Amino acid sequence: MTTIYEALADPTRRRILELLRERPRMVGDLADLLNISQPGVSKQLRVLREVGLVQVRQDAQRRWYELRLEPLIELDQWLAAFRESWERRLDRLDAYLNELQGKEETDDHE
Amino acid sequence: MTTNSNSTHIDSNGNMVFTRVFDAPRELVWKAWTEPEHLMRWWGPATFTSPAAKIDLRVGGKYHWCMRSPEGQDFWSTGTFREISPMDRLVMTDAFSNEQGDIVSPTEYGLPAETAMEFLFSLTFEDLGGKTRMTLVHSGMPAGEMREMSLQGMNESLDKLAESLKQPQR
Repeated sequence: MTTIYEALADPTRRRILELLRERPRMVGDLADLLNISQPGVSKQLRVLREVGLVQVRQDAQRRWYELRLEPLIELDQWLAAFRESWERRLDRLDAYLNELQGKEETDDHE
Repeated sequence: MTTNSNSTHIDSNGNMVFTRVFDAPRELVWKAWTEPEHLMRWWGPATFTSPAAKIDLRVGGKYHWCMRSPEGQDFWSTGTFREISPMDRLVMTDAFSNEQGDIVSPTEYGLPAETAMEFLFSLTFEDLGGKTRMTLVHSGMPAGEMREMSLQGMNESLDKLAESLKQPQR
C-alpha cells in the first residue's frame, strides 16, 4: 500500500499533479505533455488514484483524470499545525527563561 | 526581545529544523529541557498547561510528559534518550502515548494514519557568551522517512496548490 508521502516523492507524479491542477486531462494528453508512454502515465495515475490524489470522471467514451486536493490539504494543515505547535512551545520557553532570570517580558502584545 | 536568529526550515532530508537564540546561559536552557519542574512551566503552547512530566535522564532512560489544552484535552508523549551530552546535546525518540506511558497510534490524537509512530528529535545547545543558540531537529516527519524524497519540491507543490484553492478552479 502506497502512502501519500511515497506518492508525492516521485517527480513524475508531482508533475502530473501540477498538470492536473491546471485542468482535468486524459491519459494521452498527459503522455504528450510529459513525453512518456501512455502505459507509463497510467501506471503513475494508478498510484495517485490509490492514495486519493486523483479521481476519474467518465464522460461518454472519455476518461478525465482530475486532481483531488483533500489529501494534500490535510497533509499541509498537519505540517503547518505541527510547526506552529513547536514554535509556540519555544516562544514559551523563551518567556520562561526570561522569567527565571528576573527579566521583564517585553513582547507581551501578541 | 526579538532576535533575527530564529528560523524554521525543512532540510534536504525532510527534517524540520528550528533554530532559536535564547537570552539565557546554556546551563539554564539545558535545565529547562531536562528537569521536570522546569519543563512543566513551559511545555505546550501559551494557552496550554503541563500537568505532568517524568524524566529519567540517562541513555536508554525514558521521559513521559503531557500538555493540556484549554479545553482539557491531554497530549501525552513519551520517548527514550539516545544520546546525552550535558549542556551540549540531547537526542531522544518521541511518540504519542497515553497516561500510562504506552505508545499509541497518532490517529488517537486525530492525526493522519500515515504519521510515523515514532519521531526522533535532537537538540543542540551552543554557548554564545551568555546567550544560547538551540537547534532542534525533528526527523521522522511524515516525509522525512523517505530519503530520496525532495520535500522541498513537495512543499512548493503544496504552496501552489494552496494558492490555487483561493482561486476558482479551471
